[in-house]
Amino acid sequence: MFFATYLRRELRRRMRQAIFVALGLAVGIGLVVTVSSASAGVKKAEASVLSSLYGAGTDVTVTGPAPSFKAPSSSNGQASKQGTQISLTPSGAQICQNGKCENAAGQTIDNVAPQYSPMKSAEVADVAKLRDVSAVEGGLLLTDNRVSIPKDFGQAGGSAPPAPSEFSVDGVEIGRSSLGPLSAGTITSGHSFTAAEADSHVAVVDSGYATGNNLKVGSTISIDKVKFTVIGIVRQGQASSPNDVYIPLQVAQAFKAGGSAETGEVNTIYVTAASAADIPTVQHEIAKLLPHATVTTAASLASEVTGSVTSAAKLANDLGKWLAVLVLIAAFAVASLLTMSAVARRVAEFGTLKAIGWRTRRIVAQVLGESVIMGILGAAVGVGLGFAGAAIISKVAPKLSADVPSSSGALSQTQTTVGPGGVAHSLGPAAPSHTVPVPLHPSITVGVIVLAVILAVAGGLLAGAFGSWRIARLRPVDALSQVA
Amino acid sequence: MYKLTGVTKLYQKGRRTVPAVRGLDLVIEDGEWLAVQGRTGHGKSTLLNLLGGLDRPTEGTVELDGTDLGALRETQLTKLRADKIGFIFQTFNLIPTLSAAENVEAALIPLDVATADRRARIAAALESVGLADRAAHLPSELSGGQQQRTAIARALVKEPTVVLADEPTGNLDEDTRDEIIGLLEKLWRERGLTLVLVTHDSAIARRAQRVGVMTNGRLTIHQARRSVTSRPGIRCGSGSGTFPDHREGQDGPPPR
Repeated sequence: MFFATYLRRELRRRMRQAIFVALGLAVGIGLVVTVSSASAGVKKAEASVLSSLYGAGTDVTVTGPAPSFKAPSSSNGQASKQGTQISLTPSGAQICQNGKCENAAGQTIDNVAPQYSPMKSAEVADVAKLRDVSAVEGGLLLTDNRVSIPKDFGQAGGSAPPAPSEFSVDGVEIGRSSLGPLSAGTITSGHSFTAAEADSHVAVVDSGYATGNNLKVGSTISIDKVKFTVIGIVRQGQASSPNDVYIPLQVAQAFKAGGSAETGEVNTIYVTAASAADIPTVQHEIAKLLPHATVTTAASLASEVTGSVTSAAKLANDLGKWLAVLVLIAAFAVASLLTMSAVARRVAEFGTLKAIGWRTRRIVAQVLGESVIMGILGAAVGVGLGFAGAAIISKVAPKLSADVPSSSGALSQTQTTVGPGGVAHSLGPAAPSHTVPVPLHPSITVGVIVLAVILAVAGGLLAGAFGSWRIARLRPVDALSQVA
Repeated sequence: MYKLTGVTKLYQKGRRTVPAVRGLDLVIEDGEWLAVQGRTGHGKSTLLNLLGGLDRPTEGTVELDGTDLGALRETQLTKLRADKIGFIFQTFNLIPTLSAAENVEAALIPLDVATADRRARIAAALESVGLADRAAHLPSELSGGQQQRTAIARALVKEPTVVLADEPTGNLDEDTRDEIIGLLEKLWRERGLTLVLVTHDSAIARRAQRVGVMTNGRLTIHQARRSVTSRPGIRCGSGSGTFPDHREGQDGPPPR
């Protein structure tokens, strides 16, 4: 009771100084809260970009090496034994598929090629056995290439070489909703795959592709000349670059396009690590296990994301953090100096208390109590300032955007060209990026508030500690001699 | 009982060593009132600090009831001050933010006295100095005399055996000075305290049982112990200087 009375009266006597110290701490704390909330907002924005890029439960994606395609010979028009080729002969265009040639005029070439070299199912099992892996799912990423050869192609004065079209096909495991490419999407129409449809010719189509090709639930699409019924439309995140068509993995494996996607084989493995901390270990272990595969994580993908969202993240992390730290240090220093000066002015008082039998630690507790109260006041005002700062950022912050790679995990794309030399599959440059707007909503968590209170109290304690150090060294005889 | 043997206190002032107290031998009996006079800088306050355990002698021993104060640790000295010694200062040294009652209470804090007992003792202490009706007043709301009365109540509330008063009337006018000295004398007599009072004022010193004069760090006793009852009922007057050696007898301390 006496402690509280003495503390309250002393703070009231030094009200201006107490307010000044508390405000100094409050500004520091307010900055910390504002910067933390902005940083959390930016991180959330980044995470939303990454999650839509990557899939909700996927921590690591493993893809086989990019396949190599031999460009067809354009000089002699000889059909090779493997693949599809179009050649120009004196009698017109000729198409050769696996060594069998026929007149190409008016034909549509529709075939499926894998986006990556295959990995054996045993390799998927090996990844699943890794210690820090909690879930694994295989996938088969394919590209459907389609070219319609005009009837007069190759004749004198005939049509120009036709432009090929392509769309991506993703074979997904059925019954795994928490992992893989469909995990981050929302079914907007129809339904996703059911266990009974594991070997059916059914497809779930991306909403963007569906709109562009007038597809809806019940429509049919052709993949490598096989008809599939659309059973659902899925909408992926704004930042993502989704595949166009999803089909059951078993069905995708049945395509033997390019002779590379054999039954049981996949070319993508989606992996969930046991915990976020295990992701680097898992990445390392998989890279060791599958040396030829490409292993990407959300973190490595994040490095490919650019734009103002990353600039804002850097700003919040670098400038904001250091600004807050500097202001906090300044506030702590001012609080410490003012406490020291207050102790210096009260030397006679503390000397008297020591003379009448007060132990040093009791006097120190009194001074620390005053400092902690100032710290708590600073924390309360600081958190308020932090909320105000976050609200201001929310209102005035410019809209953020992220430049994301157009195909998740796809380091390069296959390109199909048709020319006088024939149809050529080749590895193109990495997919171009696209820009998506990202809303920034600064968020103040309980953790940030707790941190603010801890910092402010620590600031108060630090200031009190300096004063206490002086009190501890104070000899009552010296203190009392200053009175006279 | 205080027993000082060969006490010397040296201070370092730059390169110079200044002796504040030199080779002091002194016995102060329980319940005795010793007045110490002397000019400024001749060691009066240093002697008081040594008696109060606020300072340690450079040489010699200061014993209180057989305990060598110089050999005690700081915490033990603090406890001894809390239990046995009351201080009264020239400048009152009240805590400005606390009321008279709270200032008195401050002396009971180290003793961990129960709240009910604490209240009763504070009330009794303020009553004994005639400030019962000023308990809630802040020092700034009290006159100089009332502030010193509060300081006396603070010194006495813990029921010490020794009261050390350093120029307790130095900041007071003549009437108030008489009033305070009268109060101290009354309390000393009633409670059987050992009172060591440093003063410049010969009139005040004359009221003590013994008067010592500090000159260049040495104490000369100019007046032998005498009974308070045989002391002439002098009224304090102005004037200062050393006291003549009356040697009126050695009647010992007043009854406790």
